[in-house]
Amino acid sequence: MTAAPVEVGHGYTTTGLPNRKIAIWAFIGSECMLFASLISTYLIYKGRSMVGPFPHEGWVDAATGHRYKPILNIPVTSFSTFVLLMSSLAMVLALAAVENAEVPKRTLGDRILGDSRLWLFVTALLGMTFLGCQAYEFTSFVHEGVTIKTNLFGSSFFTLTGFHGAHVTAGVLWLLTLLSIDLKRGLGPKDALNVDIAALYWHFVDVVWIAIFTLVYLIQ
Amino acid sequence: MPHPSRARRRVAVAALAAACLLVACQHGPNTTFEPHSEFGREIDNLWKLLLDVGTIVFIFVESLLVYTIIRFRRREGQPEPKHVHGNTRLEILWTVTPAIVLACIAVPTVRTIFRTQARATRDALQVEVYGHQWWWEFRYPQYGIVTANEAYLPIGRKVNFALRTQDVLHSFWIPQMGGKRDLIANHTNYLWFTPDSSLGVLDWNGTCNEYCGLSHANMKFRVYTVLPADFERWAHHQALATTVGAVPPATPVAAPAAPAKVGSAATPDPLVRTVAQVSGAAPAGPAAPAPVADAGDYVFPADRMRVNVVPHTPIPDGLAFSNLVTGDAERGMQTYNKSACIGCHAIKGNPYSAGIVGPNLTHLASRHTIAAGLYPNDTDHLRLWIKNARAMKPGVVMPVLGLNEVDPLTHVQVTAGSGGLTDQQIADIVAYLQLLR
Amino acid sequence: MATLAAPAIAAQKAPTEYGGVWGWITTTDHKRIGRLYLFTALFFMLWGGAEAEIIRTQLRAPNLHFVSAATYNEIFTMHGTTMIFLAVMPLSSAFFNMLIPLQIGARDVAFPRLNAFSYWVYVLGGVVISLPIFFHAAPNGGWFGYTPLTTNAYSPGIHIDVWVVGLQILGISSLASGFNFITTIINMRAPGMNLMRMPMFTWMSFVVQFLIILAFPVITVALIFLVFDRFFGTNFYTTAAGADPLLWQHLFWIFGHPEVYILVLPAFGLVSEVLPTFARKPLFGYPVMVYSGILIGVLGFGVWAHHMFAVGMGPIADSFFSLTTMLIAIPTGVKIFNWIFTLWGGAIRFTVANCFAIGLLAMFTIGGISGVMHSSPPADLQQTDTYFVVAHFHYVLFGGSLMGLFAGIYYYFPKFTGRLLDERLGYWHFWLNLIGSNLTFFPMHFSGLNGMPRRIYTYDADQGWDTYNRLSTYGAYLVGVATLIFIYNIVRSARQGQRAGNDPWGAPSLEWSIASPPPIYNFERIPFVTSRYPLWDVKDPQLTTHVPHTAEADHALRVDVGGQLASRIEFHPDPGDDPAQGARVQLERGTLTAAQLGIPIPYSTAKPFFAALGLVIMVCSLLTSHLDTHVPMFGLLFGGAALLVGSLYAWLLSPLEPEEAHA
Repeated sequence: MTAAPVEVGHGYTTTGLPNRKIAIWAFIGSECMLFASLISTYLIYKGRSMVGPFPHEGWVDAATGHRYKPILNIPVTSFSTFVLLMSSLAMVLALAAVENAEVPKRTLGDRILGDSRLWLFVTALLGMTFLGCQAYEFTSFVHEGVTIKTNLFGSSFFTLTGFHGAHVTAGVLWLLTLLSIDLKRGLGPKDALNVDIAALYWHFVDVVWIAIFTLVYLIQ
Repeated sequence: MPHPSRARRRVAVAALAAACLLVACQHGPNTTFEPHSEFGREIDNLWKLLLDVGTIVFIFVESLLVYTIIRFRRREGQPEPKHVHGNTRLEILWTVTPAIVLACIAVPTVRTIFRTQARATRDALQVEVYGHQWWWEFRYPQYGIVTANEAYLPIGRKVNFALRTQDVLHSFWIPQMGGKRDLIANHTNYLWFTPDSSLGVLDWNGTCNEYCGLSHANMKFRVYTVLPADFERWAHHQALATTVGAVPPATPVAAPAAPAKVGSAATPDPLVRTVAQVSGAAPAGPAAPAPVADAGDYVFPADRMRVNVVPHTPIPDGLAFSNLVTGDAERGMQTYNKSACIGCHAIKGNPYSAGIVGPNLTHLASRHTIAAGLYPNDTDHLRLWIKNARAMKPGVVMPVLGLNEVDPLTHVQVTAGSGGLTDQQIADIVAYLQLLR
Repeated sequence: MATLAAPAIAAQKAPTEYGGVWGWITTTDHKRIGRLYLFTALFFMLWGGAEAEIIRTQLRAPNLHFVSAATYNEIFTMHGTTMIFLAVMPLSSAFFNMLIPLQIGARDVAFPRLNAFSYWVYVLGGVVISLPIFFHAAPNGGWFGYTPLTTNAYSPGIHIDVWVVGLQILGISSLASGFNFITTIINMRAPGMNLMRMPMFTWMSFVVQFLIILAFPVITVALIFLVFDRFFGTNFYTTAAGADPLLWQHLFWIFGHPEVYILVLPAFGLVSEVLPTFARKPLFGYPVMVYSGILIGVLGFGVWAHHMFAVGMGPIADSFFSLTTMLIAIPTGVKIFNWIFTLWGGAIRFTVANCFAIGLLAMFTIGGISGVMHSSPPADLQQTDTYFVVAHFHYVLFGGSLMGLFAGIYYYFPKFTGRLLDERLGYWHFWLNLIGSNLTFFPMHFSGLNGMPRRIYTYDADQGWDTYNRLSTYGAYLVGVATLIFIYNIVRSARQGQRAGNDPWGAPSLEWSIASPPPIYNFERIPFVTSRYPLWDVKDPQLTTHVPHTAEADHALRVDVGGQLASRIEFHPDPGDDPAQGARVQLERGTLTAAQLGIPIPYSTAKPFFAALGLVIMVCSLLTSHLDTHVPMFGLLFGGAALLVGSLYAWLLSPLEPEEAHA
């Protein structure tokens, strides 16, 4: 036996993928179950609220005589959905920019597309726009008579979309952190993994929103 | 490895197991092994199959295990055993064989599920069961009966229980009649069976089998299977009102006018309904004086109650009632009509008493148990119950009414100002209640 | 059986490791974290056991008043919660931690700091949920917390608040641990160890980690709904608003059934390690054992409503779940047969570890049979919510999980402490346990089928239950004595036990090639694995030649595992070693330090501990929400959040270990 180090190379992995990549996929799988439970509950309670207001139909409160419109605002939410989808595009560009940070850029177009700080900022900004739309939506619902306590719809809707919004918020904070590191010392190919897992998380949050938008808003 | 002592120990374990089995072979009085309805028999047939299969599997597997560990224990000088990594044929065998065995269980299972869950036919006796924390409300809509904690069933007639609750989960089980079914808010579950025609006039225990809070253990009920003719007499009598002494006034009172004795422990007024609401079709006008004991009445004979159906719950320490006090029923009714009782209990024929929170007391004296099957229905227990129900049964909604008694839940002492009743008053009320047959 | 004459090898510390209590708080070494899990879990096992003794004392005879109804309801709730979440799961975690990296030939888990975080969240959560019992404020809604009983309307006050908050915290611990071990097992196996060469304990643990990350989110959601109902006035379980109490039941059991496989599969894995070693032959039917474990995991998500046969789901749902439940009995039964045939033809040594493993076979069979009896809904209507079910799950949990874990403890104690547990005391433990647990739980089959409901604090006389209950109580006392003997054995052997070498049992897997206790870096050289039984290959190659997944058998099958991996390995073989063979597995002395070997060791750090503390403080702020003033709540919430976020940032932005230095 020798005292000289005989070692598989540090950083050897069985699959060739880095550990964090595998971990983020496991995390996403787990989060799928989380959102599946929240969405299932919403669907189970659909149409079972004993009092209104309701998401897709109007309601007259027998006690006060007040008329309520259907609560969900499809046009506004379509806009915020679009914004979130575009943010995923920006995220793809941000990741590509980080991976190719050391590739020389010739044209102005190349430099714009390759500016990771720009695209990280745009992604975060679009994410914050989405959150702004959500905040607007929530407050207008409360004004129109639906709070988290009002009925089964209110409880399940606000909990579901609220948790999604919390996930978006966490993503935005993550992106802003990456942005601040980029502004301080720059992000390059050695950071690609960290930006990649942030991107995976961000895309996942987007996909969940598509499911929510379809099942809650579009399907009546 | 001390082998001889291991063998001795094995014998000890086997002897213990044999002892257990011997004990087990005696069926207890609430046993599910002796079915008394077609539902129970369907289940029992499945159970016998499961038990047979289970016993065979048990004997086979455990014997194989014991044989293996004895036969292949290491011996001195033994060479290393040959490394066998598996045997596909064997593995297929012991995958397919259990599958076949399970299929033999699955087929009768699914058949039985569909047979026993089909909706009961319309000719069944309908009994509505409402589960409360911690008592059972029984209604017979076909007869206009509202009662509590004791149900009569005619033998040979299908009965369909509609199970509902407005509070927490409960589960309705008469072990010797068949399976159980849960009571779930916002759901109505059904359970039906036919008590065998060959059944004698017998009494049965019922329990709550879904943890429902503090007195889950004390939420019992009784079922009496009786001859059809006796059942009709019981049912018709239960539908009647009971009155004691003078005829009550013409106008029923919706709420007690000056509930001076009704303190903070009383229920709020909105729950009090008029007599008309409680009795359904019963007219709001003057009620004819009901006979105290109908010649047509029927009650399960107390001397036939089996020992496992008679409650033996001991009286809590520190609760006492003087034996020297005699109650006066007329005075008792007056006291009752002015006390907290009427906020929760209904007595058809007493227009002051129309509460719906607690058990209906119209025919309380016809019951053999009180407090949801917890205590025998006799003078001593009734007096103590009224005196300090919360000491007798943990957590009950019924307030403590005895003067100077301490409420075990709130630790507040009952005073005259908060509606406390003296022993004499309680004895009077009990005397009144005992006339409600 | 080759053992190395073992000089005293103290557990070597990492270059930056501290001593004393601070050393434990800052450790990131999976072996030390495993030790923390073990001792904390054993403590809670005693705690839950004490709760059981109180239950059995109360139920010894009819109408006893050893404890009040209110206290009893707290005790039985906490007995279940403690045993499941604070004792058995963490005992499994102890093994995950200590064993998995060693079995796969890794130096640590994928995320050592996350590993420490998991442990601290568990401990703090355990304290949160266990301490209130001293103030009569313990959870009292059952370990399963059915609504509407656990809603504010029927359980006002702090009891259930503590329960939801505590469970939520414990769930986070398990989830974090799940991500860690999935990554570790997928990505950190030694070269040559493909999945079908992994030891069975690692395989079963692998399945369990998937169960954890997929099942725990569901109960997280169920608890979130209950938290929101209790603290924020939502309507998820408010029946007056039209809510369905079955929502909770479905969500709970979609978690709850995989949970019971989470509880038992690690024990199965340990049995699969112990039996082959003491039968001196390989596990019978390794692939089938793997596939059946995977099948149990997958099917485990499809059987949940067999806990709900009495709720009136309707004949189609009842039939479906009945059939899936019967289906899952098949892979489980297959395992029992495979284990028996592992022993068949062997040369069985009855060490205590082996006795417990065989005990699992005997007792789990009984529990499995009663489980199949439950699978038939009409029959189950007589069994559910009675003591028959209590008998069933105690046979599978006590006779199954716990016996398997005891087997693992006796087997691996020498590996992790360098000392053997005393075999004589062990036999006392085993026999008293076997007799005691059978005496406790077998009569429950009969009291259940004779009409005794569950969760009752007392029962009346003359119901035919007296004798069974008395027997159960005496059995429980016997089990208590057995457990105390076990604890005494551990305490005594840790100090004075007979010293163990690398491989006291003659076992086949990688963890036995290194010193006992292992050095901090685990392996001096990450071995190149050419066999499912690497150490038996080294010791008795002629016996293992034709076993699948040895180099020779792979060669015969024309599979080139080594060649496939060669391109990914930066590999410096000794001159004289055949490069194709790689660094052979050999017994290591472990006397060199990490620095001498140039192996980077993760820094010790308290950041995971503070992150855990911050998280728990944040979540516990809810418990103060009923006070008149909201100042404590916001204080705890923001204070905890600041601690959590600060620690998290510091943790994520600091390196795991020093830059590697090759000598």
